[in-house]
Amino acid sequence: MFRETERVYTNMSILTGPMNHHLNGHKDLTKNKDVLKTIDPDQVWIPLVNGNAPCKACVSIGDEVKIGTKIAERNDHFYLPLFSPVSGTVTGVEKFMTSGMAQAEHLCITNDHKHEKVRAFEPFDYEKASWEEVLDFVRNAGMLGLGGAGFPTYVKYLKPENVELFIVNAVECEPYLTADYKNIEENIDLLRTGTLALFKLSKAAKGCVAIKEDKVEQIEALKKTFEGTPIEIRTVPDLYPMGWERTLVYQLTKKRYDKLPIEAGCILNNASTAIALGNAIDNGMPITHKYVTVSGDALNNPQNVYVPIGTRASVIIDAVGGYIEGTEDVLLIAGGPMMGKTIPNDKFVIMPQNNGLTVLVNRPKDEVKCLRCGRCTETCPSGLQPVRIQMSNAIFDEEELMKLSVMDCIECGMCTWICPSKIDVTENVRRAKNFVRTRMASRAKEAKK
Amino acid sequence: MKFTYKPSPNYRNTQTTSGIMADLTLCLAAIVVFAAVYYGVAFGAAYGFRVIMMTLVSLAAALLTEAAYFKMRGYDVKKEILHSYGWVTALILTLITRLDVSYYALFVCTVVAIIIGKLVFGGFGQNIFNPAAFGEALIMNSFSGSKAAKVTADVFSGATPMAAMNSNGWILSSSAMSGLIKGFGGFGGMLVGTYPSVIGGSCALLILLCGAFLLWRKDIDWHLSVTYLITVFCLSLIVGLIKGAGFNYAVFNVMSGGVLFGTVFMMTDPVTTPITIPGRMVFAVGCAALTLILRWKSNLPDGVLFSILLMNMVTPAIDKLVDGNQIKNAGLIRKKVIYTSIVVLLAALGVGMTLEGVTPAKADNTPSGETAPASEPAGLAVEDFSENNTYCRVWSNTDPAAYVYKCSAKGFEGTNKATITVNADEGTITSITVDEFGDTVSVGDAAVADAELARYAGADLNSEIDATSGATFTSKSLRAMAAAALNMAAGD
Ligand code: SF4
Ligand code: SF4
Repeated sequence: MFRETERVYTNMSILTGPMNHHLNGHKDLTKNKDVLKTIDPDQVWIPLVNGNAPCKACVSIGDEVKIGTKIAERNDHFYLPLFSPVSGTVTGVEKFMTSGMAQAEHLCITNDHKHEKVRAFEPFDYEKASWEEVLDFVRNAGMLGLGGAGFPTYVKYLKPENVELFIVNAVECEPYLTADYKNIEENIDLLRTGTLALFKLSKAAKGCVAIKEDKVEQIEALKKTFEGTPIEIRTVPDLYPMGWERTLVYQLTKKRYDKLPIEAGCILNNASTAIALGNAIDNGMPITHKYVTVSGDALNNPQNVYVPIGTRASVIIDAVGGYIEGTEDVLLIAGGPMMGKTIPNDKFVIMPQNNGLTVLVNRPKDEVKCLRCGRCTETCPSGLQPVRIQMSNAIFDEEELMKLSVMDCIECGMCTWICPSKIDVTENVRRAKNFVRTRMASRAKEAKK
Repeated sequence: MKFTYKPSPNYRNTQTTSGIMADLTLCLAAIVVFAAVYYGVAFGAAYGFRVIMMTLVSLAAALLTEAAYFKMRGYDVKKEILHSYGWVTALILTLITRLDVSYYALFVCTVVAIIIGKLVFGGFGQNIFNPAAFGEALIMNSFSGSKAAKVTADVFSGATPMAAMNSNGWILSSSAMSGLIKGFGGFGGMLVGTYPSVIGGSCALLILLCGAFLLWRKDIDWHLSVTYLITVFCLSLIVGLIKGAGFNYAVFNVMSGGVLFGTVFMMTDPVTTPITIPGRMVFAVGCAALTLILRWKSNLPDGVLFSILLMNMVTPAIDKLVDGNQIKNAGLIRKKVIYTSIVVLLAALGVGMTLEGVTPAKADNTPSGETAPASEPAGLAVEDFSENNTYCRVWSNTDPAAYVYKCSAKGFEGTNKATITVNADEGTITSITVDEFGDTVSVGDAAVADAELARYAGADLNSEIDATSGATFTSKSLRAMAAAALNMAAGD
């Protein structure tokens, strides 16, 4: 059996570096192990926040809820409903840090462990339904970008004009994470439903599922599943950050865009989002649970778990067997080690867009001075020069920073990863971005006055 | 459990700067060993030993200087030294120095290279000039007299490839070119490096292997080195073909002098070269052009070193030139690279077109036979010419009755060059003509008057030729050349 691979690197010309890199994914730690599904916490905390916008609770303390009861919604310029992942009683509201490192209100629901469900949506036939009906369904089902962005899904499909390619992103390039892989493995039929529904919504000429070329068995399974549909399976090289929209769009279409992928005629959604939509269509259930990879070198037994939204990190880590004996100082990362943030406590809860907990032993690093080697420039997928940005005289010079297009940084982490001097390059770029951002904000304020 | 906060990403490549430096050290050490073995075998164990000693002297100078500096600044000395990589500078500096440089000069220059070349800029990563190139430039300009005499006489009685080309004005006919290359054991000999040059400069093959190793380990970027080599090759090929020196001229230009060593070990120093790939390409083209221009037109022994230093100076400007988002500005950056390169290449070709070979001056038919009377006797064989930096190379060795040598030697303030014809059968000088007079006009030129030169005719190694009064230094340089030519003829 041969694989059709598209080993066309995103290399533009002799004058640029590769702009990506193969990372050691450590995925074998969890890839072939069963998913732990028995975690049933006594309490869950639902973060009342989506992006930077607060969500309003629509239940009050003391109310009984079932799995699938609507409990809150975001209702500013976007609409997003939230649903209860457990059955039980609403017992309070508490403010603490989310996995996005922001303080937010959390709605506490005490679990009665009865697992009573309500069917949140009526049976829905996306094939017969009109385009508007599908859009409404996606909107009311509370679909959001489960790959990490947490952006309401329907918004992307409001005006699908001239879309050439609809892409389901099953690349999962972040090291350690295998949650999407497991999710697809177990729910491949839901993926089919969700993908076809989204494809219809996108009005695209062609559709595809993009997956890394090394996941041979899954590629075969996907091909079988999508046989007879307009959806192709396309493989991409095992490079980071191949799962990032821009890199993926360039890989598949050889087109670059400025702000949104739609400029290049593409709409992308994460595979787990498509599965969630499939679940809503076929089973009438909203997003209540998540596949989360719990991995890292500080854990006894790395594995994937399937947990209710709102489960605390500490509960999950205990459930998989806790820390390796003798570990005292760890980095607890919400997500994978490249893009995920380290959270300075283990109280935070799993949000819909979280797909990993990586726990690494905190090792001291041996930082030396920048040797101007330019490796960060060569691997930056946005084409920036992180080293020029972090140079001391540039970092507080807005004009210079704009010339270096600092705002194009996506904080993918490649520059820190590659730096042989072990400098926190990404963090320095981030600081420069924040500096420019505050400057812009204060100017905007001034202009208003 | 302690949950530490660290900014993302928390995942890192295994390659470290210290690892890169370790690989580099390994390569440089291999070249030191090669040099020690070569000089030891070819000239005697003492010379092999001297290679090792010079390396140690330079290493000691570098490490002591850094230790003292960090101690003074109150840093953690051991950690800072390990992160400052001074030993790499010391090794490179030693390898681009000639074996006849005195320990004292090498020591002083290493210290200055470390302090002025690196530490005053803020240490590793901040320096503008390649510290080793900086130190070597110092040795050449300030300590040219500080030589270990015996080494000069034994090792450098023949010319290095650079000196040989210099004495020919960097262009000669294709057949003479082949002869010259043969003088160094042909391209095979040049590849293995069995001729004296700077300590680490001759073994082309080993240097290339080191380059391949470093590339394989992803320690260095190929763009700069490869562009540089290609540019040097193509420029000299064009000039060589137009000027009739042939294809060999291009190969010779790449293989000789510091080109290979410089491109593998010095231009790959990321600190002093541009950050981006387009920037490095511009650097490479500029450096190649300067190398050749300096070789062709300056009095420097080789152009590589100074071309690196000059390009180091414009590195910040190059970085600025190709700034900005590498994707969005790709077209603009490409244009800039191409236009800059074209301008630089045309300039270099223009200079190359002006090259003219040194035409052997017609030997004056001076009546000879008379041996110089000796008022202040000093036999050529025993006189000490170590100050004179004498070079000689074979110009023609077909007829033993008239071997011709092109020689050069330092006089009072400049270098004098002469063509010397020797009757090898007799071991005597037939004639000596001065091709280039570098000393003070109307003082030293007394010594090169035809009548004075005539006194050399018939002289052998044991002859004592007294100095022309008022022109002692120039006379001495002539005697040095005569002695060298006679020595070579005796060996041929
Ligand atoms: S974090 Fe930003 S600057 Fe660094 S490589 Fe990624 S996009 Fe480029
Ligand atoms: S990778 Fe690190 S050492 Fe190299 S240029 Fe970038 S910041 Fe400097």
